[in-house]
Amino acid sequence: MTIRNTLLDHGQRFRPRMACLKKAEKVLLEMQDPKTGVKSQIQRLVITTIPHALTGEDIIAWLAERFHVDAQEARHLGSTLVALGYIYPLQHHKRLIVKADASLYRFQTPYFWPTQQWPVEDTDYAIYLAKRNIRKKGMLELHEQEQYSHLHKWMNHKWDFIVMQAKEQYRAAKERKKPDRVVFDCQERAYWVVHRPPPGTVSAMDYGLNRRVDPGADEVTTPDFFERIMIFTQQSIMRPRVKSSVSIGALVKHCAIYHGHDPFLSKCLPSNPWLTDDVTSWNLNMPNVETPTKMRVERWTFSFGELLSDPRGRDDFRLFLRKEFSGENLAFWEACEDLKWGAAATMREKAEQIYKTFLARGAPRWINIDGKTMEITVNGLKHPHRYVLDAAQTHIYMLMKKDSYGRYLKSPVFKETLRKAACPEEHKFTDAQLEHNARNRRPSLSPIILRQQEQEQRARTAASAPVDITQVMSRLSRRSKDAEPRPAAQGVRGT
Amino acid sequence: MPLIINRVRDEHTVSKDKALVDGKALVDSLIKVVACYRHLASCVGGPTDGLKLRDDLRQTREKAQTLAVAICHHLTSYLRDRSLPEEQRREMALLWVAFSSSLELLHADMCKVFNMYNVFFPVNSSNLVQTGLQGGSSEVAARALSLPDLTQAQTRNLPAGLERREHSALELEISTLGHMIDDMETKVNVLRWMVEPHGGQYADPISSTNSASLALLSVDEEQPRRQPLRRRSYMIVLLLLLAVVLVAATLSVCVVFFS
Repeated sequence: MTIRNTLLDHGQRFRPRMACLKKAEKVLLEMQDPKTGVKSQIQRLVITTIPHALTGEDIIAWLAERFHVDAQEARHLGSTLVALGYIYPLQHHKRLIVKADASLYRFQTPYFWPTQQWPVEDTDYAIYLAKRNIRKKGMLELHEQEQYSHLHKWMNHKWDFIVMQAKEQYRAAKERKKPDRVVFDCQERAYWVVHRPPPGTVSAMDYGLNRRVDPGADEVTTPDFFERIMIFTQQSIMRPRVKSSVSIGALVKHCAIYHGHDPFLSKCLPSNPWLTDDVTSWNLNMPNVETPTKMRVERWTFSFGELLSDPRGRDDFRLFLRKEFSGENLAFWEACEDLKWGAAATMREKAEQIYKTFLARGAPRWINIDGKTMEITVNGLKHPHRYVLDAAQTHIYMLMKKDSYGRYLKSPVFKETLRKAACPEEHKFTDAQLEHNARNRRPSLSPIILRQQEQEQRARTAASAPVDITQVMSRLSRRSKDAEPRPAAQGVRGT
Repeated sequence: MPLIINRVRDEHTVSKDKALVDGKALVDSLIKVVACYRHLASCVGGPTDGLKLRDDLRQTREKAQTLAVAICHHLTSYLRDRSLPEEQRREMALLWVAFSSSLELLHADMCKVFNMYNVFFPVNSSNLVQTGLQGGSSEVAARALSLPDLTQAQTRNLPAGLERREHSALELEISTLGHMIDDMETKVNVLRWMVEPHGGQYADPISSTNSASLALLSVDEEQPRRQPLRRRSYMIVLLLLLAVVLVAATLSVCVVFFS
């Protein structure tokens, strides 16, 4: 029989389970075995001694031996155990990492082990903060004071109870012997450091959003359920099939190509910001940076899609096309993307604008698509919808891919970019520098500001983009039509 | 004049006052027992875990349950009474909120203890986590059971098969408590969020001098935290020295002057 706390939960919170917790518990039980576990020492305080303290080096050495990994991996594993709350540091209790020196740690009591079966109650936190306040006024930190006031507001009806319970817990603690009291205080403090971290800290117990539906509950087999199953199986049968040798070959090829570019699998130059808290890597790879990194430029050679999806790559390509006087292809493609992903209110105007600029006879930036596609598109534009220009867009995309892309890769523009590309040195941080970095973590630019910068950039390029008058003139003269050159329409790209 | 008014007071309200006082006493003792249960629960799985701790937990739990049943009857009977004056109803509602919150805490603690029993079963010294605890739990249990005599708590024969029985009994008790909480929600109509507490925001310090464990904790803290304390003590020492020097100077001046 499982005791589920759905009674007080009112079935409103289903948390995705963290499978790592059970595994961490097993490791922990192995670690504390007096014979085969980590060596325990005695912590000497001013008057008392408390047993069962571990040093960081012992923990790391034990983990390295148990799992046959190197010291750095063992250190990361140890830090995970500390971050989850199974081991807590005795000095520097706010930094949840394992240091490979003689700093002391201790196992957390099973009552305070992290568990997802029961949510961490705010009532308990309020009682803990009240207890600390009882012991000595003004001991709470700023974020704790804010939380305390917040809880006081929201739990006002229980406040008498909370204060009384805090006092009773304090008095009950006084019944225990002094070393036990110290140990219990450390345990409780460590528990709340893990579960109510100061703002701006990454918490290891962050599991994402609560679910609305209980994933553990069985699904009710109504006729609707069976109908869904039937539709699903029918669609599976109808799907086009590919030989597994082909698909596996494609996967292998993809992995081989992207292996060096994956920050998980290989080194991220100059250093992975998540590991070293140094954001040079992100700054060097901003969407609109002047000089891209060598790895980024190399990615553009993998496929045309990669080139277009990278904003810097697209800029480079646009520059090349401008030199070749075939910029209208890319402009048309971008306009179609904008139509597809843009707001529904302006769709009709956008479609008309695109027609006038790119598709109509004698348009300023006329694109070269075959007759059949043009017929389909023009017919579709009578009743425009989001995907009306899909056929034309695909045609232009394939044209650019087969023709311009190859020439781009051999062009001087690309070669120049490749030559100027930055190849940053790998950072080699010492432990002291890593700590310094961790202390100086700052939040990055707000996405709102980034989006504003992007929009400004786009407006600037739109204003400065010349209309391909030479292109228009050459086409007109080829068709030997006697037409006035149209005045260049502003906002030509329709974005 | 007030004395006459007191004598003329209705016996009904006097009994209600007594009921309030009784209820308050019961709720206070329940809060105390729940606090002790939490302390005992935090020892489970540690090096002091054993049959004795489990027995202490069982006794504390039983005491809490008897108290809970008593309070439940007491409060429901008075809260369902429609003739209760407004003032007393408010007090009763406060007691009700305290009672239901204690029950929730107790329920959560019992569930956690049940879970831990599943992990650390059977209890033998090899699979217990070394958390650094050394002392026993008997003092806390004595406080919970309000036993003035500690020896009474210690000398008990712990029968065999205690663990398994406790395991199944705990399961049963958790569901009983759950039902009680459910019943309470449905039977008594107390609007919790309208209840106004007595106390202010910050819990008043019990005694500012008993910061002994605090001192032990702060010994291990990082260096920067000790600096302000050190500077203060340096200032005091300096001031003392200055005072001593001043006194010596005046004394010598007097000696010179008067000799």
